[in-house]
Amino acid sequence: MNESTLFAITFILYIISAFFYLGFIFSKKPTWAKTGSALAIAGLVIHTAALIVRTIESGHAPFTNMYESLSFLSWASVLAFVTIDKKFKIPKIGPYIMLIVIGLVALASSPLMPKEATPLVPALQSYWLWLHVSVTLIGEAFFSVAFISSIMYLAAKEADKKDKWDSVSYRCVAVGFPLFTLGGLVFGMVWAYKAWGTYWSWDPKEVWSLITWFVFALYLHTRIVMGWKGKRSAVIAIIGFLAALFTYFGVNYLLAGLHSYA
Amino acid sequence: MKVLIKIFKVLIKFFTSIRLAIVLLIILAVASVLGTLIPQQRSLEEYAARYGQLSGLLIRLQLTRLYHSIWYLAILGLFALNIIVCTLTRLSPKWRKAVKPHVQIEAKSLLALKIKDRYKKNAPLSAVKAELAKSLACSRYRLRTAEKDSKAHLLARKKILGIFGSDFVHLGLLIILAGGIISGLTSVRKELALKEGEVLPVPKAFFKLRLDKFTTEHYPDGSVKAWKSAVAVIENQKSVLTKTIVVNRPLTYRGYSFYQTSYGWNWDNPSLEIWTKKKSDPAFLKKLKLKVGEKVQLDDKDQTSISVARFIPDFVLGEGNEPQTRSLQPNNPAAFVEGTRGGEKVFSGWIFANFPDMDRIHAAKETDLSFELKSFEAGQYSVLEAAKDPGANLIWIGCALTMIGLALAFYWPHWEIKAVLEESQGKTEVIAGGIAAKSRDSFQSEFEKIMAAARRSK
Repeated sequence: MNESTLFAITFILYIISAFFYLGFIFSKKPTWAKTGSALAIAGLVIHTAALIVRTIESGHAPFTNMYESLSFLSWASVLAFVTIDKKFKIPKIGPYIMLIVIGLVALASSPLMPKEATPLVPALQSYWLWLHVSVTLIGEAFFSVAFISSIMYLAAKEADKKDKWDSVSYRCVAVGFPLFTLGGLVFGMVWAYKAWGTYWSWDPKEVWSLITWFVFALYLHTRIVMGWKGKRSAVIAIIGFLAALFTYFGVNYLLAGLHSYA
Repeated sequence: MKVLIKIFKVLIKFFTSIRLAIVLLIILAVASVLGTLIPQQRSLEEYAARYGQLSGLLIRLQLTRLYHSIWYLAILGLFALNIIVCTLTRLSPKWRKAVKPHVQIEAKSLLALKIKDRYKKNAPLSAVKAELAKSLACSRYRLRTAEKDSKAHLLARKKILGIFGSDFVHLGLLIILAGGIISGLTSVRKELALKEGEVLPVPKAFFKLRLDKFTTEHYPDGSVKAWKSAVAVIENQKSVLTKTIVVNRPLTYRGYSFYQTSYGWNWDNPSLEIWTKKKSDPAFLKKLKLKVGEKVQLDDKDQTSISVARFIPDFVLGEGNEPQTRSLQPNNPAAFVEGTRGGEKVFSGWIFANFPDMDRIHAAKETDLSFELKSFEAGQYSVLEAAKDPGANLIWIGCALTMIGLALAFYWPHWEIKAVLEESQGKTEVIAGGIAAKSRDSFQSEFEKIMAAARRSK
């Protein structure tokens, strides 16, 4: 099977999964959540196959243009959600996470995104492409789960539910922050040094990664050292995710710079 | 004197406060955003056109070179100072805790903990203590004990390095900042534009670089696959090293690295191939090879000779219809052809390689000649960046420490179990409590498991 068929199947599975999760919200029946989760995992497996086929067909890492990178980010978001759900049992955020994922996949499938695999430009011919992009995007995927959990925190009314969302959100940041630091900043610097001879050039994408990093550093310090929890933590996590989103998306379309690939 | 001490104390308090760190993080984030909204390090004209009257103010506030501005660097400096002071003040109690922990804990304070246990056994103190110690050791806790009369204290800990996670991160960040300062002050960067065969001295070094061959490889679809510069390092007029530099694969030699950054054409003296045809005679075809300024006799009997007065690689009409080049890339190559007969100009005009049918020849006198710019050849040069950055190694050390620190802080949680054992009338009572800064749930289950095992054993 070719990549676009696999990708289409993935898309359909994610949509049905979102429906079941939505059904769970309304019916409160655990079977709906279980089916939603099984479909999300099935989608993740097919999506993984699609990414592998893409890699084999193109001969390079599956994140060298916006289509590929959106596909990978949606994959990473499902992965992050499935991992966190396994530990914390949070089917309630299922519909929202799956909606974000469907949005990313839809954006990737839109006619605006050129889909054909283009040969790798010289600047991207490096194994650092794999390390830098995959680790960063997986980190950002955990930020997206933290984002939804923080919104759930703000929306929740009972104290024990609020506590749960607060701790889920923190755990997502605890996974996302080291990954984002390693992939986005450290690997980014190493690669920049290898490709351009300078590890830091204050390029807008670099600066926005740093801003995202500052916001999550703020989250951790206010929380761990000053004991902020709950509402204020949730708001900082939301701002952090928006900064990460802008780093990923906004910088490419709104600010010009060196980092003009995806 | 007293006032000075007071001021000093207030200052110390300010610098040691985590509040300052938080304020600085917010300021740094907001300032950094500002720097991505205002284009950085452009020309004065660009700022004047973009911001008008405001541009002067922006330049004076150094907002146009924000990340190198005195105030941004000052905030970074303050941030570094805050990290140093905060880390040091928190380090010494942590160090004491790690090296000389307090073992003789009151039972009362253990009972105040959330994770705790209490049991009694019909056994002497030494036996109960041995059982508990064994159970703790099974879960890889390190023990410290103190015994006095009929009372024993037990302190069991694991993953003590975890409490230093944040210190590793902070040390890493300070080293990164130090590396940044060293890079800023000492790094050498220079673009070397080399034609094939050319030798250029490397700035501030005693060796030279020679470009032997520059090639551009293309994919079947025409896009660029690779730029390759075969270079030789020249030391004392001798080639000591040869290597092909590719993007992402720089040459490193004596602390310098050479990167493939760009390339270009040397348009000073291109060789052109122009085909001449006659409208009246379809069989007539003359392929001329000439350079700019060179005059070629077209036809002996006709006495017409042609020359190329100008070549433009990326032809565009500027303001006032002035022909000019938009870039140094051959996107729209054009040549200005002139024909003369007996010293008199008879025709002239632009011909375009991409648009062979476009006829722009203005004839002063009748001519049935037409021209096509078939091909052009210009020497290419390769642009290599020579860089020496003594700060880079510190950056990598700092990055490694930061990542080790993050791993320790998040995934190497320090767990501590304390116990007080007291014997009276042949029975021993155990009061135990557990403290975990992180991963409390898994700690609690481990704590319960250890206690259950200690209770069960005989």
